[in-house]
Amino acid sequence: MNYAMALEYQNCINCQACEVACKQENGVQLGADKQRIWVGMVEGTIFGRPYANIYPSQCNHCLEAPCVSVCPTKASHYGEGGIVKVNPKQCILCKGCMEACPYDARFVDDTRVVIDKCTFCDHRIAETGTTACQATCPTKVRTFGDLDDENSDLVKLLKTRRFFVQKEHIGTVPKLFYLLPEDEAYAKQSLAHTTDIHTWEEIKPHYDEARNRRSKEWKR
Amino acid sequence: METIVLAGVPINKIPIRRLLFSKTMLVAYVLLALALFGIYELFALRYMSGAVGAHAAGIDPTAPGLREAMSQAVFGTVGEITRTQPWTLLIANYMYMIYTGSGVIFLVALAEMAHFHIVGKAAAGFMVAGVALIFAGLFTIATDLNMLNMHWMLLTPNFSAGMWLMLPLYCTYIPFVFFEIYLLLTNKRDWARRLALPILVLSIGVDLIEYYIQAKLFSMNTARHLWTEFPLLTFYFIISAFVTSLGVMGINTFLVHRHKPEYESLMNRIRQAMLFFVFILGLYEIVGYMTVDKDWAFLILFGPFSVVYFAGYIFLTLALPFLFILKPGKPILTVFASLCVLVGGFFGRYLFVYGGNANPMSNRFGTGYERYDFYSVAESFHYVAPHLGEILIVVGSVGVAMIIYKLFDGLFSVGNFREHY
Repeated sequence: MNYAMALEYQNCINCQACEVACKQENGVQLGADKQRIWVGMVEGTIFGRPYANIYPSQCNHCLEAPCVSVCPTKASHYGEGGIVKVNPKQCILCKGCMEACPYDARFVDDTRVVIDKCTFCDHRIAETGTTACQATCPTKVRTFGDLDDENSDLVKLLKTRRFFVQKEHIGTVPKLFYLLPEDEAYAKQSLAHTTDIHTWEEIKPHYDEARNRRSKEWKR
Repeated sequence: METIVLAGVPINKIPIRRLLFSKTMLVAYVLLALALFGIYELFALRYMSGAVGAHAAGIDPTAPGLREAMSQAVFGTVGEITRTQPWTLLIANYMYMIYTGSGVIFLVALAEMAHFHIVGKAAAGFMVAGVALIFAGLFTIATDLNMLNMHWMLLTPNFSAGMWLMLPLYCTYIPFVFFEIYLLLTNKRDWARRLALPILVLSIGVDLIEYYIQAKLFSMNTARHLWTEFPLLTFYFIISAFVTSLGVMGINTFLVHRHKPEYESLMNRIRQAMLFFVFILGLYEIVGYMTVDKDWAFLILFGPFSVVYFAGYIFLTLALPFLFILKPGKPILTVFASLCVLVGGFFGRYLFVYGGNANPMSNRFGTGYERYDFYSVAESFHYVAPHLGEILIVVGSVGVAMIIYKLFDGLFSVGNFREHY
């Protein structure tokens, strides 16, 4: 198994139900800056035409996760299905992973004095097959699934759509796929010109290669 | 004083009371007590502050942590650390102490190789001062970690991680320096000079490898960490460390050697070296530090840190010392210059860490820099004043350095000149 998530980000209405669901499901520390997932907004104008893009985001569960590499105690590790996790008992709070994460997906949990982050709700995957954020989303932004399963909703979706990932150039091989909407030209106006747009067939070998390289470290 | 000789090293038979309860030691204990109080404060903040998870809040709606969370939601961030302020005064002090300590060792090793006899006579004391500063830096950084889980460093080590990469370096470097001190104490001057070269290389190696590790650690992050974006800044660390190192040597010379006949010539040598490095640092400020990134320069020159930069750093580290040491002949002016560069050098580190953090940096997609622009400094600043606990630990780290130095001095008289040329 190789868990990942696709995001129909232009469906997001910024209701932040996913943030609440995540906190409730995982008992995340209360506080505005203590979030495993969040909804960000980019506003601006293009030749005087205003735009606002809403980007739900969270840990990218990278196949080449820098947070795992920098952890001196192996508290940050790959769990089953390549989910990047933190073992709170082993965390010495050096904050190296917080700093190394290109997506700023980690924070200090003051209740346990350790680093906390998204776990793809791995405790409920077996029972429900999905995450709390996906289950709660009223506009079906998120699709969680297994990249190894050709028949999963996730892979089926990726095969039919074009998408991009965040900060691709730094080589983390992230597993949050942002799906381009139908009006691709409009969406591209608010993306950086350096952002590469991909298809599943084109990017799959790269992901398979990264998976094969790092999956020996995945705990089962 | 009566001595016993162990492995060729004369050890003073000093009474315990004199060793542990001298005036200097008592001052150091007071500083250490402040550090312990600071650590207590840090522990109280970490382990006893009100913070609560969603489940606990549901079970007990009257939990104090819930109140904290509500106040965080309304008034902003609370708690130990936030994304916008991950690095603190402890990091500033760590960098200050480590670089200054290794700078002292580097300069003394260089003086050994260059046959500056007057520095060589006082080399043992200077080396011990350098090592003491390194330990003070390590003490500071240790308090920044969750010490209750530190044993996992040994139980499940990840040797390729940056922190572990530093450990073998220190495990090599510090014993090398101790061996050099041993050679100096046992009057093996020729061997000491031979060992000076590896120590010279290791001293600069510590700085460069520290830099490399930081860069490796943070290379994927956005530019909160300027030195990973701009390698030229390595030289800032090294050159400014030489200036503060000479400050340490100046103060040490004043406190330890001021009644000796060689005092003036030693002070003059320190003055000359300080003048050189202050000049180089001044040049670097113009051609390096300020040209590395225009937004960084804007932030420092005209942003909220301009007072710290001009009054704390430029005035104390460059302008005032330059005036003090320009003219030879008055050692007391070099002492004033030393005090100035020590304080100013700390301001420099503080500025670097806090100035770097002050950029409105968050990598959270859609909430961070891409929301505005790379280094859109005018939008907002995140400045969180250092906590009292941090300040006390930093003050206490000076006590750690003093205790190490005085223990060495009490047992081995490292403060004496060694006449063996």
